[in-house]
Amino acid sequence: MASRYDRAITVFSPDGHLFQVEYAQEAVKKGSTAVGIRGTDIVVLGVEKKSVAKLQDERTVRKICALDDHVCMAFAGLTADARVVINRARVECQSHKLTVEDPVTVEYITRFIATLKQRYTQSNGRRPFGISALIVGFDDDGIPRLYQTDPSGTYHAWKANAIGRSAKTVREFLEKNYTEDAIANDNEAIKLAIRALLEVVQSGGKNIELAIIRRNQPLKMFSAKEIELQVTEIEKEKEEAEKKKSKKTT
Amino acid sequence: MAATFFGEVVKAPCRAGTEDQEEEEEGRRETAEDREVRRQLARKREVRLFRRQTKTSLEVSLLEKYPCSKFIIAIGNNAVAFLSSFVMNSGAWEEVGCAKLWNEWCRTTDTTHLSPAKSFCMFYHLKSNPSVVLCQCNCYVAEDQQYQWLEKVFGSCPKKNMQVMILTCRHVTDYKTSESTSSLHSPFLKALKTQNFKEPPCCPLLEQPNIVHDLPAAVLSYCQVWKIPAVLYLCYTDVMKLDLITVEAFRPILSSRSLKGLVKNIPQSTEILKKLMTTNEIQSNIYT
Repeated sequence: MASRYDRAITVFSPDGHLFQVEYAQEAVKKGSTAVGIRGTDIVVLGVEKKSVAKLQDERTVRKICALDDHVCMAFAGLTADARVVINRARVECQSHKLTVEDPVTVEYITRFIATLKQRYTQSNGRRPFGISALIVGFDDDGIPRLYQTDPSGTYHAWKANAIGRSAKTVREFLEKNYTEDAIANDNEAIKLAIRALLEVVQSGGKNIELAIIRRNQPLKMFSAKEIELQVTEIEKEKEEAEKKKSKKTT
Repeated sequence: MAATFFGEVVKAPCRAGTEDQEEEEEGRRETAEDREVRRQLARKREVRLFRRQTKTSLEVSLLEKYPCSKFIIAIGNNAVAFLSSFVMNSGAWEEVGCAKLWNEWCRTTDTTHLSPAKSFCMFYHLKSNPSVVLCQCNCYVAEDQQYQWLEKVFGSCPKKNMQVMILTCRHVTDYKTSESTSSLHSPFLKALKTQNFKEPPCCPLLEQPNIVHDLPAAVLSYCQVWKIPAVLYLCYTDVMKLDLITVEAFRPILSSRSLKGLVKNIPQSTEILKKLMTTNEIQSNIYT
């Protein structure tokens, strides 16, 4: 049945599906996991680093990109599509600043990206963008924001979310562990993001990349050492928790 | 023969297709060249079973030459990776044969120099217990070759006192369910067994209307017909290439009776699996 309705993007199937959009969502699942957490005074983006070929320059393989000084995004899916979307978003951020003399709000740039994506689900001859994005940042009012967009052009605000491969596992972990205590301070929010990623990243801290934005501060990318430190702390805490558990049972 | 209104006699077309058929088929008759092409194609697609070291072909079927009580078959790269890291690392395995075949899905047209990983089915038995035979099949066995494969491996009269376990993967989009597909937790395992397999399987059974395809289906049907206890573990995954999470989805099988005693050193297995992943990773920059 699907084969008759998935050739052209502009065709609905009899039961209301836009198959190309649904297939684009499958393309997103082929990208590695990205997780976003909205804390009280911090927003955190964590991604599973893709393994880089020996001769490849690591700096050119980035999943976390700044759109402006106060907004950044992580994506999962087709690399080339992401590059196009990011470029358009960056231009829009500057254009907005020049026109209205104010930096974009996180919601504005998310809406811009989502509208761009939706346009590509409605014109013939074009396929949808095969990426989902997590957009984080602080608005002028000092409130932290996290939004997620998907290939269909929808966007929603989230307290914490994950995209890409094994996103479901990470989301379930977040649903269980995202509590007021867990985001009580900045360090706890960072640890929560790393713990969520460690659920699905096999080789531990080496394959994790982390970025944070604090209120009125620019984007900060964590170095491998800093991530390793956090991972060691998390492992220690895990061991202690397990010891306590086994003591309780005996 | 029929008479028209004007009295002329005409040949009526005969739907039974008796006398006229010979004349019509003259145009469609096979030439010698057609026959030769067909013969060559059949020879090219023949499934050959032989001992890799000596390169001599096996005169009898593999399981007649190496009778076994346990036969474990892994079909597809994820199932093969699972057996390689969890079963084959604990114990010394000796190669007893391989099945060489070619079809249109093979990436090379040269039938004499097929690479082992891509177009062979490798057969091993445990040195310490030769009644355990393992098969690793990474190639695609076409429909017309499946019967040949079964005959060359099982023979025409297989013994019923063996137990067969088949491991394979399928893309989750082939899984039919009334639930929403976004709620599916892939990868997940489903089982299908023959009537004579009495043990409880390690995961839920495959529900209707889902069906099994290709070589795993052929082997399972064969076992059902010959009343051999057999179970198929099918992993539905959204990543068909070699993937750690998909391979790990086969873990519940480690507790089955068929694999009892064959699986040791599980932490070591995880390390071997990780190494397999890194060496096999194709550097594709399409998805990030």
